[in-house]
Amino acid sequence: MESKRSMAERRIMTLEEFGRDVQRRRAALGGDIDMPRNSGKRRTASKRALLKAIEDAGGKW
Amino acid sequence: MQDESAPPPYRPAFAAALGLFARASEDMKALGFLPPVLVGGAAVEFYSGSTISTGDFDIVTARQDQFEDILRKHGFVRPSGPGKATRGWIHPDLQLGFEVVSSSLLDGMADRDRIVMVRVGTDGFAAFVSLEDMVADRMGQYASGSAPDMLDQARTLYRLYSDADRAYMDARIRHETAGDYGIEALDG
Repeated sequence: MESKRSMAERRIMTLEEFGRDVQRRRAALGGDIDMPRNSGKRRTASKRALLKAIEDAGGKW
Repeated sequence: MQDESAPPPYRPAFAAALGLFARASEDMKALGFLPPVLVGGAAVEFYSGSTISTGDFDIVTARQDQFEDILRKHGFVRPSGPGKATRGWIHPDLQLGFEVVSSSLLDGMADRDRIVMVRVGTDGFAAFVSLEDMVADRMGQYASGSAPDMLDQARTLYRLYSDADRAYMDARIRHETAGDYGIEALDG
């Protein structure tokens, strides 16, 4: 298995390389990564309006 | 050697957003300004590969006016109308939003030398707040008492990056949480 890159090595990479390294890290943890989304309770009015505008534009994130 | 059969590490919409951000960043650099830096949920998705971003990208730059001029040139518009007051900008075609949330990186406490730069195809470079500062930011929100979910985000990032700079991360967590927590809080 390819070793993980150090943080120093990671500072300038391509997005593809960086993402592959993330995939290896996830795999090393068994692939079971439970990353909760933000609850949204702390969103500012500006942020809520922006998210609504994205949704109105058809964005589905 | 890269496995061509492996799925792309990031969802296409996220990668496209980063490409757009990289183009705008290159325009900033061409004007002689520091590149803007991504923070928030987009940075968490970048470091974790988890589907976290809700399409709104939080950006730090000391040159908000110049950056927003560049966003306009890249097709961004500011939503207007009743109930649509926002400091952010949306790109109608890519259906995403960019918002400048601060003029300084985590109130100036984040070490800019630790920023991670990645090249996004031929679009240029995109800058991200460091993993250590991202974890500290999540812990600061958790310590405020209003965002308990942030502890799980911080712990998951920490698990993924066992090679992170622990001393720096610990110092930053202690600062962001006013001394209430240190790196040991991530071991739970």
